[in-house]
Amino acid sequence: MGGPCEVLAEVADETEARKITDAVAACAWRVENKFSRYRADNIVARINAAAGSSVEVDSETADLLDFAALVHRLSDGLFDITSGVLRKAWTFDGGRRLPAQSEIDALLPFVGWSKVHWLRPMITLPPGMQIDFGGIGKEYAVDQAIQLVAQMSSAALLVNFGGDLAVTRSRDGNRAWRVGIEGIDAAVQRAAMLVDLTAGALSTSGDTYRYVESEGRRLSHILDPRTGWPVSGAPRSVTVAAPTCTNAGMLTTLAMLRGPKAEAFLESEGVRHWVQRST
Amino acid sequence: MAGAASAAAAAGVTDMADKDVKIGAALAAATCSLLGTAAPGVSVAADAEPQWDIESAFLYYGESDDRVKDLSLSAHATRDFGDERTLGLDLSVDSLTGASPSGAIATDGVQTFTSPSGRKTYSTPAGEIPLDESFLDTRFALNGSWSQPLARLYRVSAGLGFSSEYDYQHIGANFGLTRDFNQRNTTLSAALAYGQDTVKPVGGLPLPLTQMGDAVDDAMSPANRGDSNDTKDVLDVLLGVTQVLGRHTVLRVNLSYSDSSGYLTDPYKLLSVVDPVTGDLIGRTPATGASGPTGVYLYESRPDSRRKEGLYAEMRHDFSGKVLQVGYRYSTDDWEVDSHTLESRLRLPFGSSSYLEPHVRYYQQTAASFYRYSLANVTPLPDFASADARLSEMDALTFGLKYGHVTAGGNEWNARLEFYRQTAKAPNDVLIGNQIGNTQMPDFDAVILQFGYHFKL
Repeated sequence: MGGPCEVLAEVADETEARKITDAVAACAWRVENKFSRYRADNIVARINAAAGSSVEVDSETADLLDFAALVHRLSDGLFDITSGVLRKAWTFDGGRRLPAQSEIDALLPFVGWSKVHWLRPMITLPPGMQIDFGGIGKEYAVDQAIQLVAQMSSAALLVNFGGDLAVTRSRDGNRAWRVGIEGIDAAVQRAAMLVDLTAGALSTSGDTYRYVESEGRRLSHILDPRTGWPVSGAPRSVTVAAPTCTNAGMLTTLAMLRGPKAEAFLESEGVRHWVQRST
Repeated sequence: MAGAASAAAAAGVTDMADKDVKIGAALAAATCSLLGTAAPGVSVAADAEPQWDIESAFLYYGESDDRVKDLSLSAHATRDFGDERTLGLDLSVDSLTGASPSGAIATDGVQTFTSPSGRKTYSTPAGEIPLDESFLDTRFALNGSWSQPLARLYRVSAGLGFSSEYDYQHIGANFGLTRDFNQRNTTLSAALAYGQDTVKPVGGLPLPLTQMGDAVDDAMSPANRGDSNDTKDVLDVLLGVTQVLGRHTVLRVNLSYSDSSGYLTDPYKLLSVVDPVTGDLIGRTPATGASGPTGVYLYESRPDSRRKEGLYAEMRHDFSGKVLQVGYRYSTDDWEVDSHTLESRLRLPFGSSSYLEPHVRYYQQTAASFYRYSLANVTPLPDFASADARLSEMDALTFGLKYGHVTAGGNEWNARLEFYRQTAKAPNDVLIGNQIGNTQMPDFDAVILQFGYHFKL
């Protein structure tokens, strides 16, 4: 999941606690194994390796593809699960190497959900194109896990996969879960803001660790699928609270993609949000 | 479709992102469809920025027989700035009324005293314990502290405090350091506090072990008064260890040392001077045309230093939600006041958001070496003498019950009712003649009623 996964549970019984953590871990591994682009044996690998031929997908994958297609449409193409190909030109490891425009131009023909033929349950990618659920997977896994454990236990639970998290309910005694949002300056390990969560989910998108520097400018890892370049003027970190983690995650990603207008976007959507920018 | 997207990309990307069309509802619906859940209602209650966490309380304390009453409003506010950096502020206002025993003994006749100001007299009926003149005072106190981690396992705190009432001022500073060991199962702590108090009694500081004189008018200074004020310095040192003993038990042990120096006498306390054989009050006649005491009363005198050492041990155990806390304190000092305190609380949760907490406390102390019930009319006088019941042999018992309820918003309100009974003892060796079997110690009962509200701002 690209980060620490944790479960906070208010249960007195050790057996129950173990049952819950085991279920969450199993759920995390299931989603990871099924949708990670780093594996050669899953549905994503099969779709990406089909080289122009059609692949029939299971209903869960189909649901995710439907969702990705809808968000692509809602965001006028800003959110695009085919943009991963651009990573061949970009390495966001804090370094300074910028790709040449020619490298990006060579990749752009292989980016664009509009070029994909998707008719449930069949998907066909033009040769050279790839899909990747990196922008949805973690939040989706949190929601899957929280639904699963909410059915197993009435206890107050918080599931956190690398900063994307959801809770089943308020803590015992009607207390809130107090969540610290990491500050943008990684050197100072402190929670910049505190959020009291009694229900719902939080998702954070940021460039604390993933960025590239150019002429003193820090370019975010958020790539605009239509230009192939990082979105300019993007905040350093965006956190959104929403009923589900997937919902929150989409809003943070879309806010990031709006660059300087991230705050305006979140304001107009009327969601609770916390934006951190470099001063 | 593909052509349209390319054309749009060529036309420039920012325009597309600028469309001010709300997508929230469609996105939420799509998410619910993806996750196979019904659309949740408003389920997010999140608040940004550090918050003030405030424990406020209104307290009534009332002693029996119309003695001291205290109405108090207090607020303890903490603000978490993240990363365990916290600011704490304490504010309290007390309104004290009533009177407390002056130290003079009850007698068969009416007793007359000169008030602390030295300008007026007041009388105590026969057979009653003399109380010092009724007072009305407002006390204001403010404390601020800052606490933060220093390194990975260290934590420091520093604070300043101030309090004021019409005849008493206090300023103080404190510093604390804790260190975690043993995977944070053990915490060692050290704390240092220094305070300076200024006593400025009405009418000036009485000279120790001198006689209360007649009331005088404003043109003259009252008899046997010294400076208008004096100070007291108090240094406190505390060393503690907190040890986690398993998943449900925590033990805390503290060692404390306290060194007070300066003016430690109570300027309003008296001693009755009595016949060394009968134990009866020595009579006195005010000067002609003056009003004043009808007996011989001396102002008390205490040493100018006091060193206390204490040991405190507390155990907390969680019996699956029911938390039992038992504490014991031993304290000894060079005034020979040795005390034992045993205290216990049990928190019993019930329902989903309420609790009951019974509380019991027993306290017992020995008398100070210079405690006297009264002072025999012999020479020479002792260097130090006090008839303050708080320095006598005594015990005290407290019973209480607290009820707390956590609201849907996560705030808590609570109510606490406690009964306190203090019983002082005067063994025969501090009594003289007729006093034996005839002693009236200034015992009293008190009621404590408190309403608290714990909320966030």
